[in-house]
Amino acid sequence: MRQEPIDPAGIQWTRVSPSYAKVRMVGWAIGALITLLVLSVPLVLVLTGVWDGFPLWLAIAAPAVLLAVEITRLVLIPRQVAAIGYAEREDDLLVRHGLMFQKVLVVPYGRMQFVDVAVGPIDRMLGLCKVKLHTAAADATAEIPGLPVAEGTRLREQLAARGESRLAGL
Amino acid sequence: MTPGRSVPNPGPGETDGQETPTAPWHRVHPVSPLVRGWIAVVAIAFVYGQNTLSSFFGEEEPNPGPDFISGTPLMVSLLVGAGILLLILLGFFGTWWFTKYQITDRHVNVNTGMVFRQQRQARIDRVQSIDIAQPLVARIFGLAELRFDVADSGSAAMNLAFVKLSEAHQLRNEILARAAGLKTPAPPAPPLPAQTDAVTVAGQPPDPTAPQEAAVQAPAPGYASVSASLAASERVVAVVPTGRLIGSILLRPSTILMVLGIIGLGIAMSAIEGFAPFYLLPAFLGMAGALWNNLNTGYNFKAATSADGLRLGYGLLDTRHQTVPPGRVQAIKVTAPFFWRPLGWYRVAVNVAGIGGGAANDAEQRSVLLPVGSYEDVLAVLSVVLPAPGVAAPRDFFAAAINGSGTEGGFVVSPPRVRPLSPLAYKRQGYALTDTALVARNGALHRTIAIVPHARTQGLRLSQGPLARRFGVVDLSLATIAGPVVPLVHQLDVASGRELFLEQADRAAAARRQTDSNHWLGDA
Repeated sequence: MRQEPIDPAGIQWTRVSPSYAKVRMVGWAIGALITLLVLSVPLVLVLTGVWDGFPLWLAIAAPAVLLAVEITRLVLIPRQVAAIGYAEREDDLLVRHGLMFQKVLVVPYGRMQFVDVAVGPIDRMLGLCKVKLHTAAADATAEIPGLPVAEGTRLREQLAARGESRLAGL
Repeated sequence: MTPGRSVPNPGPGETDGQETPTAPWHRVHPVSPLVRGWIAVVAIAFVYGQNTLSSFFGEEEPNPGPDFISGTPLMVSLLVGAGILLLILLGFFGTWWFTKYQITDRHVNVNTGMVFRQQRQARIDRVQSIDIAQPLVARIFGLAELRFDVADSGSAAMNLAFVKLSEAHQLRNEILARAAGLKTPAPPAPPLPAQTDAVTVAGQPPDPTAPQEAAVQAPAPGYASVSASLAASERVVAVVPTGRLIGSILLRPSTILMVLGIIGLGIAMSAIEGFAPFYLLPAFLGMAGALWNNLNTGYNFKAATSADGLRLGYGLLDTRHQTVPPGRVQAIKVTAPFFWRPLGWYRVAVNVAGIGGGAANDAEQRSVLLPVGSYEDVLAVLSVVLPAPGVAAPRDFFAAAINGSGTEGGFVVSPPRVRPLSPLAYKRQGYALTDTALVARNGALHRTIAIVPHARTQGLRLSQGPLARRFGVVDLSLATIAGPVVPLVHQLDVASGRELFLEQADRAAAARRQTDSNHWLGDA
C-alpha cells in the first residue's frame, strides 16, 4: 500500500527543539509510574497472600502488558517530537503533528483571536515554551510545543502583528 | 476581541465622546421579576401554606415541623408567611430597580445587580443574532424578552426580560438599524433584498399577505422611518405546515430510536417476574415530553427575509422571533434523514456565533433555520443565508449535493478502494467547490451536506490514522465555530486531499480580503 505523507507539497517545516522530548518523557514517566503502581496492586496482594482467589497469571500479565505498552510509547517519543513542525506562510500558519495519527492544521492569521505562551516547570528548566494560537473555532487551535523561549516570543510577536494586519473579525 | 465585555465604570452618557450625549436609561417592565419568578413564589406559598394549615386542621401532622410553628397561633403563622412574601417582593423590586439599559449609537449598556453590580457594554455592530422570546406567562402579560447575542459563545450579551412586545420590536429594529451602519437619523430607505437573491425560487413570489410586524411599532424619533422600512421589507420564504411538522417529528431518527428503546425495554422487563406495563410509564412520559418539546418549538415555523437579515418565528405556547443579520452564518447543514427521504423532506441548521454552541439547552433549537421543508423551501432558505452560491445552476447543483452520488455536480468523491471502509457511502462522501463556498457531502442513508463559505473558513485540518493510511486516504475537516454543523470531507484520496488543503487555504485568504464587514448596509 502507498505510504505517502499527508503534508502538503513544497512546505519547509521548522522543527521544534529536540529537547522537548525530555519534557514529554518526564510527563510519560509520571503517568506510567502511577498506572503501573495501580495495576501492580493485585500482584502485591496475591504475593503477600492477602487475596488468594485472584489468578496469579492475570496479576502478572496486567502490569507486564502495561509495561510493554509504556516502553513502546517511550521509544516513540523522540520520533513523535521530531514529527512536530510548523511553517509560516504569507496568510496562514501551518502546524503538523503525529506519526501514527498524522494531523496537519492550517490557521489563517486573520482568524486569530489571541495567542498564549505557556511555560511549565520542566519547560522552564530547559528554556522551552509552548505557543497556542486560538481562533473562534475550538478545533482550529494551533499548538506548537517545545519552542525555545526566544523563538516562542518572536513567533508570538509575529503572529500578533500579522493577525492585526490581516484582521478579519469572525 | 471580546465584544461583550464588562467595563469598569462607564457612567451614563460618557461611554463614548462621539455618541448621543443624553441617551436615556430605561428599565424593564415592573412585573418582569414576577413573570420570571412566579413558579418559585407559588411553590413557596404552596409548601408553606400546606405545612401551616395541616398543623392546625390536620388530624395528624404529616410533617411535624419545628415547635414554634405548630405551637403558635394561626395569626403569627400568617404574619410570618406575609413577611416572607414581602421579602421576596422586595427582592424582586430591587432587581427590577437596579436593572437599567441604554442604547447609544454604537453600544448597548446594561447595568444589573443589587449587591454585586455589573455594568456591561456591548458593541452593536458585533451583534450576531437578536431574539424576541415570549414564554407563555409573558405572553399573557403582553411582554417579551429581548436577547442580544454576540460571538461570546456563552450567555447573551444583553437579555432584557421583560419589556412590552411593541417596545421589544422597536428596540430590535433600532439596534439592527444601527448595527447595519445607518448612523444618520433619516437616510433614504435601504434597498429591498428581493432583487439580490441569486437563487431564483420558482413558485415563491413575495408574499403580500405576510404579517407585517411593523404594524405594532410605536413611533420612535429618528430611527422610526428606518425601522419601519426595514420591518416592512419582510418577505416570507418558507413556512412549515403543522401536519408536516408532526409527521417529521414522528419520523425523526431520535423518535424512532426512542420507540425502539421502549419496545426493547418492555421486552427485557417482561422477562422479569411481576412486570406490569405501568412500570414503563416514566419512559413514555419522557418520550411524550421530548415530542412535545419538538412540537412546541417547531409549531407555526416561519422563515422570512428582510433587509436586516433572516427572520425566524415559531412556537406554540412559548413563541420566539429570531433575527440573524446577513453575513453572520458561518456554516450551513442540510440533512435528509432516512425516513424523511420518501417524503422529500429536509432540515436546515446553521452555525452562528453565540447561539450554536455552549451549554444553553435552547442552542440546538435556535440554530435551526428550517425544521422540516421541501426542496423548494430549502432553496428559498439557502438563497437568504447564501445569497451568492457561486454556481451557475444552484437548483441542479444542490439537488446533486443532497441526493446525488458520484461526480455529478462537480463533486470529488472517495476513491473506490475505500469501499471496505464505507460500503454504502463511498460514492457519496466527497466535496464540491463553488466560487464562494465548499460543499462537503456525507452519508448514504442519513444524508447530509455541509456548506462553508470560503470567507468564513476558520482553519483546515488534515488527518490520517493507521487504517486510513493503509487505504491511502485522508480526512479533511473545516474548522468552524461551535454549532450543529461539523463540516468534514471524509476519506479523500491523499494526493487530492493534500492539494485541496493548501488551495482551500489560499481561496479562504482571497475571499477574506474581499469580504468582511460587520456593517451590511451603511458605509461603515
